[in-house]
Amino acid sequence: MESNGHVLMATTGLPGSHTLAVYRKHGGYEALAIALSKTPDEIIDTVKRSGLRGRGGAGFPTGTKWGFVPKSNDKPKYLCVNADESEPGAFKDRLLLAKDPHQVIEGTLIGAFAIGARRAYIYIRGEFAHEASIVQAAIDEARAAGLVGKNILKSGFECEVVIYLGAGAYICGEETALIESIEGQRGEPRLKPPFPAVVGLFGCPTVVNNVETLACVPHIMKRGWEWFAGIGPERNTGPKLYGLSGHVNRPGVYEAPMGISLRTLIDEYGGGVPGGRPVKGVIPGGASCPVLRGDEIDISMDFDSLTRAGSLFGTGTPVVMDDTTCMVRAAWITARFFAHESCGQCTPCREGCGWMQRILWKIETGRGEERDLDILLSVTDQIEGNTICALGDAAAWPTRGFAKKFRDEFLQHIREKRCPLGGGSLH
Amino acid sequence: MAVVKLQVDGREVVVEKGTNLIEAGKKVGVFVPSFCYHPGLPVVGVCRICLCEIEGRPKLVAGCATPVEEGMKVITQSANVREARKAVMEFLLIHHPLDCPMCDKGGECTLQDYTMMMGPAHTRFTFEKQTWPEEDVGGKLILNKNRCILCLRCVNLCKTVAGQDEIAVLSRGEETYIGTVAGRKIENEMAGNIADICPVGALTSKDFRFRSRPWELKPVGSVCTLCSKGCNTKVWYHPRRNEVVRITARENMDVNQWWICDRGRGAFWGIHDPNRLLQPTRRQGDATAPTTWGQAIPAIAESLRAIVERHGPSAVGVVASGELTNEECYLARSIFRDGLGLANVDVVERPQPPVVYPKFTIEGDRNPNTRGARAIGLAPGPRGLGVADMIRAAAEGSIHALVFLRGGPLEQFGDPQAVARALGRLELLVVMDPMPSPVSGRAHWVLPGVSFAEREGTYTNSQGRVQRAPRVFTLRGDTREDWRILQDLGRSLGVWMHVDAGPQQIFQRLAAANPAFAGLDYTVLGDLGAPLAAASADVAVG
Repeated sequence: MESNGHVLMATTGLPGSHTLAVYRKHGGYEALAIALSKTPDEIIDTVKRSGLRGRGGAGFPTGTKWGFVPKSNDKPKYLCVNADESEPGAFKDRLLLAKDPHQVIEGTLIGAFAIGARRAYIYIRGEFAHEASIVQAAIDEARAAGLVGKNILKSGFECEVVIYLGAGAYICGEETALIESIEGQRGEPRLKPPFPAVVGLFGCPTVVNNVETLACVPHIMKRGWEWFAGIGPERNTGPKLYGLSGHVNRPGVYEAPMGISLRTLIDEYGGGVPGGRPVKGVIPGGASCPVLRGDEIDISMDFDSLTRAGSLFGTGTPVVMDDTTCMVRAAWITARFFAHESCGQCTPCREGCGWMQRILWKIETGRGEERDLDILLSVTDQIEGNTICALGDAAAWPTRGFAKKFRDEFLQHIREKRCPLGGGSLH
Repeated sequence: MAVVKLQVDGREVVVEKGTNLIEAGKKVGVFVPSFCYHPGLPVVGVCRICLCEIEGRPKLVAGCATPVEEGMKVITQSANVREARKAVMEFLLIHHPLDCPMCDKGGECTLQDYTMMMGPAHTRFTFEKQTWPEEDVGGKLILNKNRCILCLRCVNLCKTVAGQDEIAVLSRGEETYIGTVAGRKIENEMAGNIADICPVGALTSKDFRFRSRPWELKPVGSVCTLCSKGCNTKVWYHPRRNEVVRITARENMDVNQWWICDRGRGAFWGIHDPNRLLQPTRRQGDATAPTTWGQAIPAIAESLRAIVERHGPSAVGVVASGELTNEECYLARSIFRDGLGLANVDVVERPQPPVVYPKFTIEGDRNPNTRGARAIGLAPGPRGLGVADMIRAAAEGSIHALVFLRGGPLEQFGDPQAVARALGRLELLVVMDPMPSPVSGRAHWVLPGVSFAEREGTYTNSQGRVQRAPRVFTLRGDTREDWRILQDLGRSLGVWMHVDAGPQQIFQRLAAANPAFAGLDYTVLGDLGAPLAAASADVAVG
């Protein structure tokens, strides 16, 4: 199928890659036909065996998630596609939506069939209005071709695919906030349990999957779980999109297997750091992942390795920072983002994120004291684990990461009462 | 109902399935703090002060949002829990003004109490605090967002109890605030409850704020008398000023749960209405003059006797009211029906449309004791006339005397012009009422009774539940409790020879005499009342 060794990006470079004609010319919707000839249990089992883990950041096994949907429940079931890609540094799903929407739709239809859903919502962040129009056109094309709607491929399977546009909140990428948003409520995470698989959208069993996760599914259907499981390290299988940004010569989205070395990604895919400058730090998987120092980048890009290293794989979208970057400012920018995006419903996140941001700005602008650093770290401790959803953790972890990994630089700001790097180059 | 056995801080507790950790703790005397949790509102789990540890689980859980499980071991006192709660307290206080002496909630503020209990004594937050201007949000509430901790109780009360979204959560992150939208105001009549359940000084009652400190007040458990629902209330009395300064809700799961409506909440204004009748008066011709109880009661008795003797008992009528207590109804029945042998005795019933909210109904019968009055037999006797017929008979001249046990606007009794004409023809018009009205304005004798807060008594609500309202205080002036007025009149008439010290004894007589009240006494009534013996059946005693 692919000439370039790619799976997810096999056709994204072709003219008209977003059209049904091009997608079908390269074998599109064959996987759907295969899936519809199997039972939902067989599909779930295949996806389980493939080892596919969610590409939205948490890395939860997809097949297991599908298996949580109760079969004996006679309520409608829903599949939600999380296309709210909002993590700073992440822009991989955007490429799939814009360049290969049918791959996502096909995966969505297979997922919906597997969990017994007759309606799927694609929740696209409002800023992706352009991508949303491409996806809508793709849905329309698919419906006209009998691939969406009633009696899909004359199998009797029925599934509507509906786009829901977000209104610009990072928190709506949290699955239960996404569900609230589709229901027309404020985008605020729900208390769990119950989990969406049991009580989700409109109170019905619901699965929320990331765009890239679902894009993997047709390939698993077509080539078998053994093929997928053979890519990448154990428990971290399959092809992966990496969105590379920051101080690299060639930023962009690259496809490579799970478990590629971070250094390889930066040096070979990204063409290294401009001017040959040293890497000072890398946020490996989007803003919520604790920073790695430049001497820690010989690491396998997979969920388990990065967790072991005290960071996170996240969405697999590294932000590279060279030695001109002020790490206090980088921490402040990250904290400011989370403070702005906290939904504000629970106390530790609402109050703690704003506090962290203030302390970091105080240190960055040369007014910090040593005890501010202690307060900062204690605030991260006071947020972590005490909130309704993971946004609090996602805000606390990177702040703590920056403050611990680059403690000397923080202390230098405090001692010299200024930013020794003149504010750095990240704004 | 399935039950679950678990341990809270080592103490074994058995609770219903579905109970949360806060309620399970309560059962064995383990205190789990809470701001956002309220048993009458949906669980939102946002404040995080109720975080508890469960043995074997890595993360702390919100006590409000975690249902009990069989064999669960809940720990509310570990170092982890203490640190997490301390953290929440610190977070809640970073933008909160530290000016309790300035705040109307001081003395009954959960945030203040918890800060004394477990909060940090010093702030580590050295930045400028966020500030907001105060605003009037309607519903007789003032919103001070500086003090708000975003527990969402106000929003959820309006949403779930009143079914209104007049107040909402707006913006996000640390800029999140509670507010009304697009210039709207809170208009629902349940909104006053917000001042009761706001755990801080963010939403305070315009009727109460800055009028006194809670520790100056004496709360007395009472019953609302503004409709037949019989909501349980707390009447807050200011002894130094001899004044009732507010009324709040008192929990009674069988009647009003945790809520009262804003009419009942504002009932204390009526007690202190500047127009209150404070002295017995007598009208002769066009001249109205103050008189004394010593003159009024025997004179009224004599006139009544004389009219009965001259024209027979059918020449006298008694227009009673569902505002009277059970004891007063019993006295009225004993004196007028049984004693004087009057058949023309009735209670005014003018039901309004009920006000129905999703979880609260203001009853259409705006009197607290119509059901009690009927059960006691305040109704026309054989060939007796109802209210409308009594008015007609007075206009025609066949009724010569009317006793109104509560006045009111003329239209309450029939066509206002016809009522006015009828009252004008009477030889004797007596009114017992704390408030002036067009009826008392036409009366020969006006006997100033008192409000619910100044006299003891019981009321039977529309469900047939008998509930006690104690005397809270006595207003200055020459008023007299209505049961005393009736008892005095009965003695003067020679038809009620008991000298009961108070309503408790009268209630005992009622319970002994009337099968509907059989078995009831003050002990049985307790703080929350008890149903009539025949509460399930429709009670009609003639």
